[in-house]
Amino acid sequence: MTALYRPGRTPLHRLPAGPKALGFAVVVLAVSLLPTRWEASVAALAVAAATYVFLGPGLRELVAQTYGLRWILLIVFAGQLIFSGLMPAATNTARVGAAILLATLVMLTTRVTDLLAALERGLQPLRRLGVDPQRASLLFCTVLTTVPVLGRLALEVREAQRARGGRGVRIFAMTFTVVALKHADQLGEALAARGVD
Amino acid sequence: MSAFELDQVQVVLDDVRVLDDVSCVLDAQRIAVVGENGSGKSTFARLVGGLIPPSGGRIRVLGLDPVKQAKELRRRIAFVFSNPDAQIIMPTVAEDVAFSLRSQRLGTDESTRRVREALEHFGLADLADRPAHSLSGGQKQLLALCGAFVRRPELVIADEPTAYLDARHSRRVADHLFADLGHRLLLVTHDLELARRCDVALHFADGRLVSVGPAATVVPEYEASLV
Repeated sequence: MTALYRPGRTPLHRLPAGPKALGFAVVVLAVSLLPTRWEASVAALAVAAATYVFLGPGLRELVAQTYGLRWILLIVFAGQLIFSGLMPAATNTARVGAAILLATLVMLTTRVTDLLAALERGLQPLRRLGVDPQRASLLFCTVLTTVPVLGRLALEVREAQRARGGRGVRIFAMTFTVVALKHADQLGEALAARGVD
Repeated sequence: MSAFELDQVQVVLDDVRVLDDVSCVLDAQRIAVVGENGSGKSTFARLVGGLIPPSGGRIRVLGLDPVKQAKELRRRIAFVFSNPDAQIIMPTVAEDVAFSLRSQRLGTDESTRRVREALEHFGLADLADRPAHSLSGGQKQLLALCGAFVRRPELVIADEPTAYLDARHSRRVADHLFADLGHRLLLVTHDLELARRCDVALHFADGRLVSVGPAATVVPEYEASLV
């Protein structure tokens, strides 16, 4: 879910970042509030699919993003199935899938730099309440870029553990925490070095 | 006014004296910092870059106090660290380079132009829209250099910038660092060939500056002490 931006010239690419993010936030909220009925879920999925195909990066990207969500959707479905039954599980999972697909569209069609600038502008009124818009938007960016790094670090720790014949979640968690904190230190230093106070 | 003026500088971190009684006045264009692991080289680089404050003594870098004038100093210098992964802030290559210009408050056109020129200079133009974390280690370090040089710094502080790189990328990174772009270079390195390319070298041991002088003299002396 990082670096999702795909260069392009679709109508969604051409929309300014701020209104686009706000619009999608409203749509995603509306999808989340839909009643638990199959018609509503089908409609949400249809809206998401149509937005990809007609306004966004196209059918191939829709298929790729849906495939990427398979495990999340499976977990959501399994959880709902246990507690709510087949039909609510299917409709809720479809709704969650539609919401994630729609939210992902913002990332796919907007450069993070533009999102960052829009977020900074949007948060300006909160400055009076002590919120630093620059810091808040930077936090958003560093979260995005840190996810794949942590994934790679976790893999390296796991490999090192295997290479030394070690097993166990507790040791992995301890080592991974230390490595992640070290990365956080280095990232903080890199930010300071690039003029961020 | 010299570029670096240090007078009896100390750095204490977690009750450990990592730099002790460091005094020197340097004005060379390219300065190498050599010494064994734990000798205080990286601490020295961070100290002159204003990333850590001195615990004692007096220090001026480019005529500025790195503690009281840290913001101004950071505008005029750029860092390159050994681990390229820790230097990537933004998701894509072009955005990461553009991030370096954020504090300079340039207009969009000027910023875009400088990013494009820098990417071309560092051979990264074709990778502009690629996720930065998908690059190879060598490409990531070139990206870090690109992010450093796009700011047109007066001083580049590079802390073992070739440590994780293969021979080809090491050479490319070194060539960029030593290119005549009007910047000063402070290079912390274990690569003695690179150190020899500098004008002046500092040799650290156990947190103390044991010798300062022409790289052609200091580096061979240090090398001989390793045997």
